[in-house]
Amino acid sequence: MVYKRVIYSLLYSKGFFHLSRNFRLQQVGDVDWLKNNFGFGETCDYIDELMITLVTKNPDKKEINNYFKDVKKLKENIFVPIILGGGIRTFDQAKYCFLNGADKILINQLAHEKNETINKVAKVYGEQAVTLMVDYKKVDDTNYSFTNSAEKKSMTLNNYFKNIENLNFGEIIINSIEKDGTAQGLNLDCLEDLTNNFNKPVLLMGGAGKPDHFVTPLKKNEVSGIVTANLFNFLGDGLKKARSFSIDNGVRLIEFQRIH
Amino acid sequence: MSKQKIVIVDADFGNIDSVENAIKHLGYNFQSLKKVSNLDKYSHLILPGVGSFNTASKKLQLSGWFDAIKKFASQSKPILGICLGMQLLFETSDENGLSLGLSFFKGHCKKFNSQNKLPLPHMGFNFVNHGNSIIWKGIPNPSPFYFIHNYRVKETDELAIASTTIYGDQFISFVEKEKIFGAQFHPEKSHRIGLKLLKNFIELR
Repeated sequence: MVYKRVIYSLLYSKGFFHLSRNFRLQQVGDVDWLKNNFGFGETCDYIDELMITLVTKNPDKKEINNYFKDVKKLKENIFVPIILGGGIRTFDQAKYCFLNGADKILINQLAHEKNETINKVAKVYGEQAVTLMVDYKKVDDTNYSFTNSAEKKSMTLNNYFKNIENLNFGEIIINSIEKDGTAQGLNLDCLEDLTNNFNKPVLLMGGAGKPDHFVTPLKKNEVSGIVTANLFNFLGDGLKKARSFSIDNGVRLIEFQRIH
Repeated sequence: MSKQKIVIVDADFGNIDSVENAIKHLGYNFQSLKKVSNLDKYSHLILPGVGSFNTASKKLQLSGWFDAIKKFASQSKPILGICLGMQLLFETSDENGLSLGLSFFKGHCKKFNSQNKLPLPHMGFNFVNHGNSIIWKGIPNPSPFYFIHNYRVKETDELAIASTTIYGDQFISFVEKEKIFGAQFHPEKSHRIGLKLLKNFIELR
């Protein structure tokens, strides 16, 4: 059977996790805060995967080490697949993520350049270990992909998908810049830009704010899952409720049972 | 502390961190080995793996791991292969050209049929319909486990099939024969239910 996925996304910078709204960051708390005060462990019993992204621009060595240190601390008691990344440009940076516990790595910028590094990573770690992410927004009625934290227009979203056709990767996250952090629901119009024979998993990100928002996207055949970075709406038993609500409304998500 | 001492094969193809993390959490002794050494002091062996069958098979053969794992099996000590590690317990795979596995189980690994029009890789939690041997003790049937793969085993000895899963068509998600086990899914990334399966494996004598 085919089951859909909900991926929980955390944005990390300078020792803190952040909320993002239209790509502007707001600091909320550190790793201890997340673990101890907000039932993060419980939240993770109801997610399919966890993504932790380093969002610092041009991070120095110390910042990168702090990121991996906090990732290690955070995932101690969490037993789901983990996606790591943020600003990966070289094979060695990707390798470092795998060495630090990534099951998959997140690639954004390099895919716009059709960079060979992506295929090299896929050859060594398998294509399933490469998750692409594309940020997009509408300009004059056409969806465009953007780079540099949504500052630089790259190409039409449709051209982006044509561009990545021959790259080796496992899945793609399509992130709406306009809906980012708004909790107003997800955009679906980006699906029209996909190429006809695209058959890798597609995940949507940006705008999930309440259980209601999960249902329509997750019922679409082309959508394998959604990614949410909404720290407050879905902590504690928020995700459990959102999953139950979706299942009750005909979405094929797995209802996780806690066993002891 | 328990007497079990687990060896994790770390032949440099992918992330073994999550397996280590799970075993640490369960409180057992383990050692991850990059190079083959004398395995006599270990009670259990785990062969994790991601990446391509072809590359992994070559690496394991050249580095002497194939022979060491076969010797371990001949001493009737429990072995668990995970994901690619499970596939490597079979005879052959046609991923990146035909290559040889350890041949503990009969069968061949093939890519999922793309005519099913399902996204590939098969990625995410899916239900595992399992038997009732000791390794499944305390695990509800069916239970969800995390999968991430393009290739799978379709056929093997009927008796070795311990669980099946459906993705377009039915494939073999777990095999067991004597003390050799193979999981196509990742118990170490499958919440507490996955930990339970790992614990059951480690508790085997």
